[in-house]
Amino acid sequence: MWKFLIKRLLLALFQITFLVIAVFFLIRLLPADPVSRFVGMNASKEAYLQAEMSLGLDRSIGKQFQGFLLGDKNSLGLISGDLGKSWVSGEEVTQEIKKFLPVTLELITLAFIFAAGISIPVGLWGAANPGGIADKGTMVYSLFAGSQPEFSWGILFIFIFFVYFGIAPGPLGRLSPLTEAPIVITGAITIDAILAGRFDILLEALWYLTLPVLTLAFVLSGPIIKMVRENLIQALQADYILYARASGISSMRVARDALRVSISPTITLIGILFGYMIGGAVLIERIFSISGIGQYSINSILAFDYPAIQGVVLTISSITLLIFLIVDILHALVDPRIKL
Amino acid sequence: MRKINTQIYQLLMFLIFSFLSSCSVQQDTNTKDSIIYLTQDVPVGLNNDGPAASIPESQIGIVNLQDALIDYAIDTDNIGEVRSLNFEKFEGRLAKEWFFDKKNLTWTFKLRENVISCAGNELTADDIIYTFARAKSVTGAAPIGWFLSSVASIKGFDNEVLSNPGARKLGDEVKKIDRYTVEIKQSAPNKLFLPALSTFGIRVFDSIEAKKNSSEEDPWSHNYINNISLPGFGPYCLESWSKGNEFIIKANKNYYRGEPRIKRVIFKRIPQSSNRFIIMRMHQADIAYGLTPREFNKLSEFNGIKVVGITGNQNLFLHMNFKTPPFNNLNIRRAVAATIPYKWIIKNGYFNQASIWRSLVPSRYPGAESKFDLKWNGIDKAKEILNSEGYFSPEDLLVYKDSFKLSYVSEKEDILAPIATAIRTEMRKAGFPVELDPIPLTQYGDRQLVKRDLPFAINSEEKPIVVDAGYAVQLFFASADAGGVNNMVNYSNRKVDGLWAKARVSEDEEERFKLITEIYQYLEEDIAWLPIAEYKTRWGAKENINGFVWYPDNGIRFFDLSMDSK
Repeated sequence: MWKFLIKRLLLALFQITFLVIAVFFLIRLLPADPVSRFVGMNASKEAYLQAEMSLGLDRSIGKQFQGFLLGDKNSLGLISGDLGKSWVSGEEVTQEIKKFLPVTLELITLAFIFAAGISIPVGLWGAANPGGIADKGTMVYSLFAGSQPEFSWGILFIFIFFVYFGIAPGPLGRLSPLTEAPIVITGAITIDAILAGRFDILLEALWYLTLPVLTLAFVLSGPIIKMVRENLIQALQADYILYARASGISSMRVARDALRVSISPTITLIGILFGYMIGGAVLIERIFSISGIGQYSINSILAFDYPAIQGVVLTISSITLLIFLIVDILHALVDPRIKL
Repeated sequence: MRKINTQIYQLLMFLIFSFLSSCSVQQDTNTKDSIIYLTQDVPVGLNNDGPAASIPESQIGIVNLQDALIDYAIDTDNIGEVRSLNFEKFEGRLAKEWFFDKKNLTWTFKLRENVISCAGNELTADDIIYTFARAKSVTGAAPIGWFLSSVASIKGFDNEVLSNPGARKLGDEVKKIDRYTVEIKQSAPNKLFLPALSTFGIRVFDSIEAKKNSSEEDPWSHNYINNISLPGFGPYCLESWSKGNEFIIKANKNYYRGEPRIKRVIFKRIPQSSNRFIIMRMHQADIAYGLTPREFNKLSEFNGIKVVGITGNQNLFLHMNFKTPPFNNLNIRRAVAATIPYKWIIKNGYFNQASIWRSLVPSRYPGAESKFDLKWNGIDKAKEILNSEGYFSPEDLLVYKDSFKLSYVSEKEDILAPIATAIRTEMRKAGFPVELDPIPLTQYGDRQLVKRDLPFAINSEEKPIVVDAGYAVQLFFASADAGGVNNMVNYSNRKVDGLWAKARVSEDEEERFKLITEIYQYLEEDIAWLPIAEYKTRWGAKENINGFVWYPDNGIRFFDLSMDSK
């Protein structure tokens, strides 16, 4: 176990290092200039040069990389855990990521809880009666939900539930603009509301998060249902299950064993989808005006805010690698045939 | 067991009911004191010399939290749905009066007394000294304060400041005379002095509060002002700021022009214009900015909501680079001009909320003459001109197909793509091999400002923030040698440069006007830019909100607004 963990962590370190170097150099190859955005289109040449110097872009690319790793006048360097300051806001990138990341994690965690809570029982139900009405219904639903990207469902849901029926809140973020948010402790508003003992805010946050969470869960549940159903059907038809049944083992026990075997690929799928959604929830964030890490990364890319882009890539890739590691460990716990 | 199940069921129903009830209460977002302003983004920074200063949303934050020494008076003659400014008349803001000593090129400003900042400090001459010293320090990411001071010809704010750290200390060019009097010296006569002082880039800091939040590494408090607050004497004070989400300002009760009528403004970031539209439509916000022309038109159809607008300084023009053949040929530029579907653009691109732009200066600015002659008009005329140049078929122009990539900012796709498509269609009829080339703003900026190699583009980004036809010449049309700043089309005309050199230092208003008029004649004859349309700056608002005033930075001043009781 420990050997596996150390091996995986070393591999992750190697992957992140490669990614950091690649991102650092690749973004500088793009045919755009961040300085003009900061000084404005109508700045003089002299003002432009001054801004270029203040951002450290007047140095050679090698010197810039050295500064990024080991520190310069703008940061202590990546080695010291300093991602530098955003060129757009002037704030520490680490602080900005701390602010935006929990927002996305909260959104997608709620969506995954909701999606898994619905998809796994529905998938099991379909698999228990293959070919039945319930099975056909779940197949149609899973194909339907996955047939369109999440943003189009989001827009449709806003129109139906907010504009047409008026029973859902507008796409105004995580709280009504008139509500004073609780003191930020974790950055996840539901948790912060609980910590502050503000259950009114908790309810309101859940209310405002209903549509984005439903939209994400609606789309995510399609592949999860399909995965659960198909793997469970396969497992139930496996020789060892037939043997178990023939041996007179109770149907509950048989079902539990079949589920343990079939749930493994579902965990992998959820892990992959979760990792993907950290950056991939950007369209949902945009449509529902939620300021998460996806929005932050898109804004950073459009502004060519190099320190922010580097910080976001580093953070998202680290979390994704961590999720994959957790998925591997869960596999081993769920399926005793897998040894770490 | 059954009893327990019933109790659980009742509890569940109670919780669902309570939840929905509490939520429906939250949906009523209107209060007497607060208004919700929907915007594409909230201020990213509040530092006029900071990295976010060129972002319009940041400028709106700055102008509501800080005040200028002087500003234009509101035009009382032309009262429309949105009032404008009287660009012939300045009035005091933090300065109650000012005098100009022509002989010594020195301006004397008498400050108002008992002007109190949000932090409770009184305005004194030290705040003005601090403001200019900070600008001259060029310690921010973007030296905008220095740039605008140099545009105003304030002595010592020259290029040496950037190359020589020794020249960055404020000398006696900005001098304290007494507690409420300062003098500012110019290096040369320059009519742009007062207009530059009215911009967002030279707003006055509360120096006591700013210094309180400085550090050894950051003596000019850039970090504090970029991220925490902006110390100033403006009509509003910052209540809270969650970057990327929300920005709340509250009325400054001590404001010297009286406490603002709108007591609290919540800037809410709604990145999608379609969402701003539906939130306004559902009456869940009070003002929205930055909708597409189609959305504004649709919004005006709903009860209880109005759309107000004014032709300010937002415009659309065609950029043809003089260094890229065939645009170095005047007849090619004329042929292109002949193909432009002006009426279609006004009607379908801007839903009749624009007019044909017949000048190279916003028509609202003093000195703008509406006389750009559309004598080159129609596809046949374009073909005739092309034939005269030896281009008889579309194949003849294929050699220039890279030059005819029509660029525009892809972030403005909603508005610009239909217009670009219409221009392409018409130009192709005349034989021009036009292709569309949408590119991100950052890349557009790089090619326009730094490389200056954009051959052909439609541009809706440019507006001279200093209200002066001469400033527009300096900004866009003068050669670099003649002090030109952003001559993106590489236009060069010695006569224009010579006339601008005279106009720049001219103290005689009439003579300056004549010189600038002559400059614009050359620019129009040469088609330095091809002006297309001036479109309205618009806001969607609830019907009970009144008092909109247009400013050259297009930023709303909430102090001007009032809210009738419903």
